Amino acid sequence: MEVKINTKDSVTTAQLIGRLDTPASQEISGDFDNLMQYAAGTVILDCTELEYISSSGLRLFLSLRKAAASKGGNVIVKAINKDIRSVFMMTGFLNLFEIQD
Amino acid sequence: MCETNKKNIFADRTIILTPMSANRHLDPHCRAILQEYEDNLPRFREVEAQVRDTLRRTLQDAGLAVAAIESRVKGYDSLAGKLELKGHKYKSLANLTDILGLRVITFYIDDVDKVASAVERLFTIDWENSVDKRKIHEIDSFGYLSLHYICSIPDFPYRFEIQMRTLLQHAWANMDHDTGYKSGVEIPKRYLRNMSRLAGMLELVDDEFSKIRIELTDYRRRVQALVRSGNLDEVPIDGDTFRSYMDLDPFAQLNKRIASMNQAEIQDVSLMPYLSVFKSIGLKTLGDIDRMIKDFSEGAYQIACYQIGLTDLDIISSSIGPQDLCIAYILKNGGGKAGIKHMFDLLNGESGNNDMMAEMLLEQSKDLPFMNKQG
Repeated sequence: MEVKINTKDSVTTAQLIGRLDTPASQEISGDFDNLMQYAAGTVILDCTELEYISSSGLRLFLSLRKAAASKGGNVIVKAINKDIRSVFMMTGFLNLFEIQD
Repeated sequence: MCETNKKNIFADRTIILTPMSANRHLDPHCRAILQEYEDNLPRFREVEAQVRDTLRRTLQDAGLAVAAIESRVKGYDSLAGKLELKGHKYKSLANLTDILGLRVITFYIDDVDKVASAVERLFTIDWENSVDKRKIHEIDSFGYLSLHYICSIPDFPYRFEIQMRTLLQHAWANMDHDTGYKSGVEIPKRYLRNMSRLAGMLELVDDEFSKIRIELTDYRRRVQALVRSGNLDEVPIDGDTFRSYMDLDPFAQLNKRIASMNQAEIQDVSLMPYLSVFKSIGLKTLGDIDRMIKDFSEGAYQIACYQIGLTDLDIISSSIGPQDLCIAYILKNGGGKAGIKHMFDLLNGESGNNDMMAEMLLEQSKDLPFMNKQG
Protein backbone atom coordinates (compact mmCIF):
# COMPACT_ATOMS: atom_id res chain seq x y z
CA MET A 1 0.00 0.00 0.00
CA GLU A 2 1.37 3.38 -1.00
CA VAL A 3 0.30 6.97 -0.31
CA LYS A 4 1.57 9.88 -2.37
CA ILE A 5 0.81 13.28 -0.87
CA ASN A 6 0.92 16.44 -2.94
CA THR A 7 -0.07 19.91 -1.72
CA LYS A 8 -0.87 22.86 -3.93
CA ASP A 9 -2.30 26.08 -2.45
CA SER A 10 -4.90 24.95 0.08
CA VAL A 11 -5.66 21.65 -1.66
CA THR A 12 -3.87 18.48 -0.62
CA THR A 13 -4.22 15.36 -2.71
CA ALA A 14 -3.37 11.92 -1.34
CA GLN A 15 -3.15 9.18 -3.95
CA LEU A 16 -3.99 5.85 -2.36
CA ILE A 17 -2.50 2.92 -4.26
CA GLY A 18 -3.16 -0.74 -3.47
CA ARG A 19 -5.35 -2.60 -0.98
CA LEU A 20 -6.31 -0.80 2.23
CA ASP A 21 -6.75 -3.84 4.49
CA THR A 22 -6.01 -3.97 8.21
CA PRO A 23 -2.20 -4.38 8.00
CA ALA A 24 -2.03 -1.69 5.29
CA SER A 25 -4.08 0.66 7.48
CA GLN A 26 -1.46 0.35 10.22
CA GLU A 27 1.28 0.81 7.65
CA ILE A 28 -0.12 4.10 6.33
CA SER A 29 -1.52 5.54 9.58
CA GLY A 30 1.52 7.85 9.72
CA ASP A 31 0.57 9.25 6.29
CA PHE A 32 -2.91 10.00 7.59
CA ASP A 33 -1.39 11.67 10.65
CA ASN A 34 0.52 13.88 8.19
CA LEU A 35 -2.69 14.61 6.29
CA MET A 36 -4.32 15.89 9.51
CA GLN A 37 -2.13 19.01 9.33
CA TYR A 38 -3.83 19.91 6.04
CA ALA A 39 -7.33 19.22 7.36
CA ALA A 40 -8.17 22.92 7.65
CA GLY A 41 -8.18 23.09 3.85
CA THR A 42 -9.43 20.67 1.22
CA VAL A 43 -8.05 17.13 1.28
CA ILE A 44 -8.74 14.93 -1.73
CA LEU A 45 -8.37 11.19 -1.22
CA ASP A 46 -7.73 10.03 -4.76
CA CYS A 47 -8.88 6.39 -4.87
CA THR A 48 -8.34 5.81 -8.59
CA GLU A 49 -5.83 3.08 -7.78
CA LEU A 50 -7.37 1.89 -4.51
CA GLU A 51 -8.55 -1.69 -4.97
CA TYR A 52 -10.11 -2.54 -1.61
CA ILE A 53 -11.02 -0.97 1.72
CA SER A 54 -11.57 -2.67 5.10
CA SER A 55 -13.14 -1.36 8.31
CA SER A 56 -9.68 -0.18 9.40
CA GLY A 57 -9.43 1.85 6.20
CA LEU A 58 -12.88 3.34 6.81
CA ARG A 59 -11.71 4.36 10.29
CA LEU A 60 -8.73 6.20 8.78
CA PHE A 61 -11.06 8.05 6.39
CA LEU A 62 -13.37 8.85 9.29
CA SER A 63 -10.62 10.21 11.54
CA LEU A 64 -9.55 12.55 8.73
CA ARG A 65 -13.14 13.67 8.22
CA LYS A 66 -13.49 14.44 11.94
CA ALA A 67 -10.27 16.46 11.93
CA ALA A 68 -11.47 18.40 8.87
CA ALA A 69 -14.88 19.06 10.44
CA SER A 70 -13.29 20.45 13.60
CA LYS A 71 -10.94 22.70 11.60
CA GLY A 72 -13.49 23.87 9.04
CA GLY A 73 -11.92 21.85 6.23
CA ASN A 74 -13.34 19.40 3.73
CA VAL A 75 -12.52 15.82 2.67
CA ILE A 76 -13.34 14.70 -0.84
CA VAL A 77 -13.22 11.02 -1.77
CA LYS A 78 -12.47 10.77 -5.47
CA ALA A 79 -12.91 7.97 -8.00
CA ILE A 80 -13.83 4.99 -5.80
CA ASN A 81 -14.41 1.75 -7.65
CA LYS A 82 -17.69 -0.18 -7.65
CA ASP A 83 -16.71 -2.49 -4.77
CA ILE A 84 -15.56 0.33 -2.51
CA ARG A 85 -18.71 2.30 -3.32
CA SER A 86 -20.71 -0.73 -2.21
CA VAL A 87 -18.79 -0.86 1.08
CA PHE A 88 -19.52 2.85 1.64
CA MET A 89 -23.20 2.25 0.90
CA MET A 90 -23.55 -0.90 3.03
CA THR A 91 -22.03 0.83 6.06
CA GLY A 92 -23.91 4.10 5.69
CA PHE A 93 -20.68 5.96 4.94
CA LEU A 94 -21.80 7.13 1.52
CA ASN A 95 -23.30 10.42 2.60
CA LEU A 96 -20.58 11.09 5.15
CA PHE A 97 -18.18 12.23 2.45
CA GLU A 98 -18.32 14.37 -0.63
CA ILE A 99 -17.77 11.76 -3.32
CA GLN A 100 -16.49 12.73 -6.75
CA ASP A 101 -16.62 10.39 -9.69
CA MET B 1 -38.85 65.03 15.07
CA CYS B 2 -35.65 63.55 13.87
CA GLU B 3 -32.74 63.72 16.26
CA THR B 4 -29.50 64.40 14.44
CA ASN B 5 -27.29 65.82 17.18
CA LYS B 6 -26.13 62.40 18.21
CA LYS B 7 -22.57 61.35 18.68
CA ASN B 8 -20.95 58.80 16.42
CA ILE B 9 -17.97 57.53 18.36
CA PHE B 10 -16.87 55.46 15.37
CA ALA B 11 -16.94 58.34 12.94
CA ASP B 12 -13.21 58.99 13.15
CA ARG B 13 -12.27 55.48 12.07
CA THR B 14 -11.51 56.56 8.56
CA ILE B 15 -9.34 59.53 9.47
CA ILE B 16 -5.68 58.93 8.81
CA LEU B 17 -3.99 59.16 12.18
CA THR B 18 -0.94 61.33 11.71
CA PRO B 19 -0.11 63.43 14.78
CA MET B 20 1.98 65.75 12.65
CA SER B 21 -1.07 66.62 10.59
CA ALA B 22 -2.80 67.98 13.68
CA ASN B 23 -1.61 71.48 13.13
CA ARG B 24 -4.02 72.96 15.58
CA HIS B 25 -4.12 75.85 18.02
CA LEU B 26 -4.11 74.00 21.30
CA ASP B 27 -3.37 75.59 24.64
CA PRO B 28 -0.93 73.92 27.08
CA HIS B 29 -3.83 72.31 28.99
CA CYS B 30 -5.09 70.56 25.85
CA ARG B 31 -1.55 69.58 24.86
CA ALA B 32 -1.13 67.98 28.29
CA ILE B 33 -4.30 65.93 27.70
CA LEU B 34 -3.00 64.89 24.28
CA GLN B 35 0.31 63.88 25.82
CA GLU B 36 -1.50 61.80 28.46
CA TYR B 37 -3.44 60.16 25.63
CA GLU B 38 -0.24 59.33 23.74
CA ASP B 39 1.41 57.93 26.87
CA ASN B 40 -1.56 55.66 27.54
CA LEU B 41 -2.41 54.64 23.99
CA PRO B 42 -0.85 51.14 24.24
CA ARG B 43 -2.84 50.48 27.42
CA PHE B 44 -6.07 51.67 25.73
CA ARG B 45 -5.41 49.17 22.94
CA GLU B 46 -4.83 46.37 25.45
CA VAL B 47 -8.08 47.19 27.24
CA GLU B 48 -9.89 47.41 23.89
CA ALA B 49 -8.90 43.82 23.07
CA GLN B 50 -9.62 42.63 26.60
CA VAL B 51 -13.11 44.17 26.78
CA ARG B 52 -14.03 43.04 23.26
CA ASP B 53 -12.93 39.46 23.96
CA THR B 54 -14.73 39.38 27.30
CA LEU B 55 -17.91 40.63 25.64
CA ARG B 56 -17.64 38.18 22.75
CA ARG B 57 -17.02 35.21 25.03
CA THR B 58 -19.82 36.13 27.44
CA LEU B 59 -22.40 36.58 24.68
CA GLN B 60 -21.27 33.34 23.04
CA ASP B 61 -21.55 31.42 26.33
CA ALA B 62 -25.03 32.86 26.82
CA GLY B 63 -26.02 31.62 23.34
CA LEU B 64 -26.73 35.17 22.25
CA ALA B 65 -25.92 35.60 18.56
CA VAL B 66 -25.12 39.19 17.60
CA ALA B 67 -24.51 40.72 14.18
CA ALA B 68 -21.22 42.37 15.16
CA ILE B 69 -19.02 43.65 17.94
CA GLU B 70 -17.06 46.69 16.83
CA SER B 71 -14.39 48.58 18.71
CA ARG B 72 -11.97 51.44 18.19
CA VAL B 73 -9.60 53.67 20.09
CA LYS B 74 -10.06 57.33 19.20
CA GLY B 75 -7.47 58.63 16.75
CA TYR B 76 -5.01 61.40 17.62
CA ASP B 77 -6.40 63.81 15.04
CA SER B 78 -9.95 63.26 16.15
CA LEU B 79 -9.06 63.93 19.78
CA ALA B 80 -7.03 67.01 18.87
CA GLY B 81 -10.02 68.34 16.92
CA LYS B 82 -12.35 67.73 19.83
CA LEU B 83 -9.99 69.44 22.28
CA GLU B 84 -9.60 72.40 19.95
CA LEU B 85 -13.37 72.88 19.99
CA LYS B 86 -14.16 72.19 23.65
CA GLY B 87 -10.94 71.30 25.48
CA HIS B 88 -11.82 73.63 28.33
CA LYS B 89 -14.63 71.25 29.35
CA TYR B 90 -12.19 68.48 30.28
CA LYS B 91 -9.90 68.61 33.30
CA SER B 92 -7.89 65.59 32.21
CA LEU B 93 -8.08 62.62 29.88
CA ALA B 94 -10.16 60.78 32.47
CA ASN B 95 -13.04 63.19 31.78
CA LEU B 96 -13.30 61.96 28.19
CA THR B 97 -15.40 58.81 28.10
CA ASP B 98 -15.18 58.03 24.39
CA ILE B 99 -11.43 57.45 23.91
CA LEU B 100 -12.26 53.76 23.83
CA GLY B 101 -15.59 52.88 22.25
CA LEU B 102 -17.28 49.55 21.55
CA ARG B 103 -20.50 48.76 19.80
CA VAL B 104 -22.62 45.63 19.95
CA ILE B 105 -25.05 45.28 17.06
CA THR B 106 -27.86 42.80 17.67
CA PHE B 107 -30.26 41.12 15.26
CA TYR B 108 -33.31 41.52 17.48
CA ILE B 109 -34.57 44.43 19.53
CA ASP B 110 -35.13 42.25 22.63
CA ASP B 111 -31.47 41.30 22.52
CA VAL B 112 -30.35 44.89 23.15
CA ASP B 113 -31.58 44.55 26.74
CA LYS B 114 -29.98 41.12 27.06
CA VAL B 115 -26.63 42.51 25.92
CA ALA B 116 -27.10 45.44 28.31
CA SER B 117 -27.69 43.02 31.15
CA ALA B 118 -24.44 41.18 30.28
CA VAL B 119 -22.55 44.49 30.13
CA GLU B 120 -23.94 45.46 33.55
CA ARG B 121 -22.65 42.19 35.01
CA LEU B 122 -19.22 42.49 33.42
CA PHE B 123 -18.34 46.14 33.99
CA THR B 124 -19.02 48.97 36.43
CA ILE B 125 -21.56 51.33 34.86
CA ASP B 126 -21.44 55.07 35.34
CA TRP B 127 -25.22 55.49 35.42
CA GLU B 128 -25.09 59.25 35.64
CA ASN B 129 -23.46 59.50 32.23
CA SER B 130 -25.07 56.51 30.51
CA VAL B 131 -27.93 57.26 28.14
CA ASP B 132 -30.86 55.20 26.95
CA LYS B 133 -31.69 57.07 23.75
CA ARG B 134 -34.63 54.76 23.29
CA LYS B 135 -36.41 56.53 26.13
CA ILE B 136 -35.72 60.14 25.31
CA HIS B 137 -38.08 60.39 22.37
CA GLU B 138 -41.48 61.98 22.77
CA ILE B 139 -44.41 59.74 21.88
CA ASP B 140 -44.74 61.46 18.51
CA SER B 141 -41.07 61.47 17.55
CA PHE B 142 -38.85 58.94 15.85
CA GLY B 143 -35.10 58.90 15.43
CA TYR B 144 -31.88 57.60 16.85
CA LEU B 145 -32.46 54.64 19.15
CA SER B 146 -29.48 53.24 20.95
CA LEU B 147 -28.35 52.40 24.44
CA HIS B 148 -25.04 53.94 25.55
CA TYR B 149 -23.28 52.77 28.70
CA ILE B 150 -20.24 54.48 30.17
CA CYS B 151 -18.23 51.70 31.76
CA SER B 152 -15.08 51.08 33.76
CA ILE B 153 -12.98 48.15 34.88
CA PRO B 154 -10.58 47.79 37.82
CA ASP B 155 -6.92 48.77 37.29
CA PHE B 156 -7.71 51.11 34.41
CA PRO B 157 -8.34 54.75 35.35
CA TYR B 158 -10.25 55.67 32.19
CA ARG B 159 -13.87 55.05 31.33
CA PHE B 160 -15.07 53.71 28.00
CA GLU B 161 -18.34 53.66 26.09
CA ILE B 162 -20.37 50.67 24.91
CA GLN B 163 -23.19 51.32 22.47
CA MET B 164 -25.88 48.70 21.92
CA ARG B 165 -28.37 48.80 19.06
CA THR B 166 -30.07 46.60 16.48
CA LEU B 167 -28.86 46.08 12.94
CA LEU B 168 -31.70 48.26 11.62
CA GLN B 169 -31.02 51.01 14.14
CA HIS B 170 -27.40 50.80 13.09
CA ALA B 171 -28.31 51.09 9.42
CA TRP B 172 -30.49 54.13 10.10
CA ALA B 173 -27.87 55.81 12.26
CA ASN B 174 -25.17 55.29 9.64
CA MET B 175 -27.33 56.59 6.81
CA ASP B 176 -28.41 59.56 8.89
CA HIS B 177 -24.83 60.23 9.91
CA ASP B 178 -23.50 60.05 6.39
CA THR B 179 -26.10 62.40 4.99
CA GLY B 180 -27.07 64.39 8.07
CA TYR B 181 -23.91 65.96 9.47
CA LYS B 182 -23.30 68.98 7.33
CA SER B 183 -22.41 71.65 9.78
CA GLY B 184 -23.31 75.11 8.63
CA VAL B 185 -25.74 73.81 6.05
CA GLU B 186 -29.37 74.01 6.96
CA ILE B 187 -30.99 70.63 6.43
CA PRO B 188 -34.26 70.85 4.51
CA LYS B 189 -37.27 69.95 6.64
CA ARG B 190 -38.40 67.46 4.04
CA TYR B 191 -35.19 65.48 4.52
CA LEU B 192 -35.60 65.48 8.30
CA ARG B 193 -39.20 64.34 7.92
CA ASN B 194 -38.19 61.52 5.55
CA MET B 195 -35.46 60.28 7.89
CA SER B 196 -37.94 60.43 10.75
CA ARG B 197 -40.48 58.42 8.73
CA LEU B 198 -37.80 55.83 8.00
CA ALA B 199 -36.85 55.61 11.67
CA GLY B 200 -40.49 54.96 12.54
CA MET B 201 -40.78 52.32 9.86
CA LEU B 202 -37.59 50.54 10.94
CA GLU B 203 -38.83 50.58 14.55
CA LEU B 204 -41.95 48.75 13.36
CA VAL B 205 -39.84 46.26 11.35
CA ASP B 206 -37.64 45.58 14.41
CA ASP B 207 -40.79 44.86 16.42
CA GLU B 208 -42.15 42.55 13.71
CA PHE B 209 -38.90 40.56 13.54
CA SER B 210 -39.07 40.20 17.27
CA LYS B 211 -42.69 38.97 17.12
CA ILE B 212 -41.80 36.41 14.46
CA ARG B 213 -39.00 35.08 16.64
CA ILE B 214 -41.31 34.80 19.65
CA GLU B 215 -43.93 32.98 17.55
CA LEU B 216 -41.32 30.59 16.14
CA THR B 217 -39.99 29.84 19.61
CA ASP B 218 -43.55 29.17 20.76
CA TYR B 219 -44.15 26.87 17.76
CA ARG B 220 -40.99 24.91 18.53
CA ARG B 221 -42.00 24.47 22.16
CA ARG B 222 -45.45 23.20 21.18
CA VAL B 223 -43.93 20.76 18.66
CA GLN B 224 -41.44 19.47 21.20
CA ALA B 225 -44.29 18.91 23.66
CA LEU B 226 -46.27 16.99 21.01
CA VAL B 227 -43.23 14.88 20.12
CA ARG B 228 -42.52 14.13 23.78
CA SER B 229 -46.14 13.18 24.43
CA GLY B 230 -46.13 10.85 21.43
CA ASN B 231 -48.83 12.69 19.44
CA LEU B 232 -46.72 12.31 16.30
CA ASP B 233 -49.63 12.23 13.85
CA GLU B 234 -50.32 15.88 14.67
CA VAL B 235 -46.79 16.97 13.84
CA PRO B 236 -46.00 17.81 10.20
CA ILE B 237 -42.49 17.05 8.98
CA ASP B 238 -40.29 20.13 8.71
CA GLY B 239 -36.76 21.09 9.70
CA ASP B 240 -37.70 21.95 13.28
CA THR B 241 -39.99 19.02 13.97
CA PHE B 242 -37.62 16.52 12.38
CA ARG B 243 -34.75 17.80 14.53
CA SER B 244 -36.87 17.43 17.68
CA TYR B 245 -37.83 13.92 16.59
CA MET B 246 -34.16 13.03 16.00
CA ASP B 247 -33.49 13.92 19.63
CA LEU B 248 -35.59 10.85 20.51
CA ASP B 249 -33.12 8.70 18.54
CA PRO B 250 -35.90 6.81 16.72
CA PHE B 251 -33.54 4.65 14.62
CA ALA B 252 -31.36 3.56 17.56
CA GLN B 253 -33.01 0.17 18.00
CA LEU B 254 -32.68 -0.73 14.32
CA ASN B 255 -29.08 0.50 14.17
CA LYS B 256 -28.14 -1.54 17.24
CA ARG B 257 -29.75 -4.62 15.75
CA ILE B 258 -27.80 -4.16 12.51
CA ALA B 259 -24.55 -3.44 14.40
CA SER B 260 -24.94 -6.57 16.54
CA MET B 261 -24.48 -8.74 13.42
CA ASN B 262 -20.74 -7.96 13.31
CA GLN B 263 -20.33 -6.42 16.76
CA ALA B 264 -19.82 -3.21 14.82
CA GLU B 265 -19.26 0.21 16.34
CA ILE B 266 -21.82 2.87 15.37
CA GLN B 267 -20.57 6.30 14.30
CA ASP B 268 -23.17 8.97 15.05
CA VAL B 269 -23.82 11.27 12.12
CA SER B 270 -26.44 13.91 11.37
CA LEU B 271 -29.59 12.38 9.90
CA MET B 272 -30.97 15.72 8.75
CA PRO B 273 -30.26 14.85 5.06
CA TYR B 274 -33.02 12.22 5.38
CA LEU B 275 -35.62 14.95 5.91
CA SER B 276 -35.83 15.51 2.15
CA VAL B 277 -35.92 11.74 1.49
CA PHE B 278 -38.84 11.15 3.86
CA LYS B 279 -40.75 14.04 2.30
CA SER B 280 -40.00 12.85 -1.23
CA ILE B 281 -41.46 9.39 -0.57
CA GLY B 282 -44.67 10.99 0.60
CA LEU B 283 -44.41 10.95 4.39
CA LYS B 284 -46.31 13.91 5.85
CA THR B 285 -46.10 13.66 9.62
CA LEU B 286 -43.70 12.32 12.23
CA GLY B 287 -46.39 9.68 12.83
CA ASP B 288 -45.79 8.45 9.26
CA ILE B 289 -42.06 8.02 10.00
CA ASP B 290 -42.88 6.24 13.24
CA ARG B 291 -45.16 3.78 11.40
CA MET B 292 -42.51 3.29 8.72
CA ILE B 293 -40.02 2.28 11.42
CA LYS B 294 -42.51 -0.20 12.89
CA ASP B 295 -43.55 -1.69 9.55
CA PHE B 296 -40.24 -1.75 7.66
CA SER B 297 -37.55 -2.38 10.28
CA GLU B 298 -37.61 -6.10 9.52
CA GLY B 299 -37.11 -5.42 5.80
CA ALA B 300 -34.30 -2.96 6.56
CA TYR B 301 -32.63 -5.53 8.79
CA GLN B 302 -32.87 -8.18 6.07
CA ILE B 303 -31.20 -5.83 3.57
CA ALA B 304 -28.40 -5.07 6.06
CA CYS B 305 -27.99 -8.80 6.83
CA TYR B 306 -27.63 -9.61 3.15
CA GLN B 307 -25.09 -6.83 2.64
CA ILE B 308 -22.80 -6.94 5.65
CA GLY B 309 -23.72 -10.20 7.41
CA LEU B 310 -21.06 -12.15 5.57
CA THR B 311 -18.39 -9.43 5.68
CA ASP B 312 -16.02 -8.48 8.48
CA LEU B 313 -17.10 -4.81 8.36
CA ASP B 314 -17.29 -3.75 12.00
CA ILE B 315 -18.00 -0.05 11.65
CA ILE B 316 -21.28 1.50 10.49
CA SER B 317 -22.75 4.96 10.61
CA SER B 318 -26.05 5.77 12.30
CA SER B 319 -27.50 6.57 8.87
CA ILE B 320 -27.56 2.87 7.95
CA GLY B 321 -30.94 2.39 9.70
CA PRO B 322 -32.83 5.18 7.90
CA GLN B 323 -31.08 4.33 4.61
CA ASP B 324 -32.14 0.66 4.66
CA LEU B 325 -35.61 1.60 5.96
CA CYS B 326 -36.13 3.92 3.00
CA ILE B 327 -34.87 1.24 0.58
CA ALA B 328 -37.28 -1.34 2.03
CA TYR B 329 -40.16 1.17 1.94
CA ILE B 330 -39.46 2.24 -1.65
CA LEU B 331 -39.13 -1.32 -2.94
CA LYS B 332 -42.19 -2.59 -1.11
CA ASN B 333 -44.26 0.33 -2.40
CA GLY B 334 -43.27 -0.24 -6.01
CA GLY B 335 -40.78 2.62 -6.31
CA GLY B 336 -38.27 0.25 -7.89
CA LYS B 337 -34.86 1.19 -9.20
CA ALA B 338 -35.89 4.76 -10.06
CA GLY B 339 -37.10 5.35 -6.50
CA ILE B 340 -33.84 4.14 -4.97
CA LYS B 341 -31.76 6.15 -7.42
CA HIS B 342 -33.79 9.24 -6.51
CA MET B 343 -33.05 8.61 -2.83
CA PHE B 344 -29.30 8.45 -3.48
CA ASP B 345 -29.54 11.52 -5.72
CA LEU B 346 -31.13 13.44 -2.83
CA LEU B 347 -28.56 12.21 -0.33
CA ASN B 348 -25.36 12.31 -2.35
CA GLY B 349 -26.08 14.45 -5.39
CA GLU B 350 -26.92 13.17 -8.84
CA SER B 351 -24.49 10.64 -10.29
CA GLY B 352 -24.51 7.77 -12.74
CA ASN B 353 -23.16 5.59 -9.94
CA ASN B 354 -26.46 6.01 -8.07
CA ASP B 355 -28.12 4.15 -10.92
CA MET B 356 -25.60 1.33 -10.55
CA MET B 357 -26.22 1.09 -6.80
CA ALA B 358 -29.99 1.13 -7.28
CA GLU B 359 -29.66 -1.72 -9.77
CA MET B 360 -27.54 -3.70 -7.34
CA LEU B 361 -29.96 -3.15 -4.44
CA LEU B 362 -32.91 -4.18 -6.57
CA GLU B 363 -31.13 -7.39 -7.49
CA GLN B 364 -30.06 -8.11 -3.89
CA SER B 365 -33.50 -7.48 -2.40
CA LYS B 366 -35.78 -9.26 -4.82
CA ASP B 367 -35.52 -12.62 -3.05
CA LEU B 368 -35.48 -11.31 0.52
CA PRO B 369 -38.43 -12.52 2.66
CA PHE B 370 -39.91 -9.03 3.25
CA MET B 371 -40.33 -8.51 -0.50
CA ASN B 372 -42.40 -11.62 -0.85
CA LYS B 373 -44.47 -11.16 2.28
CA GLN B 374 -48.09 -10.19 1.65
CA GLY B 375 -49.59 -7.07 3.25
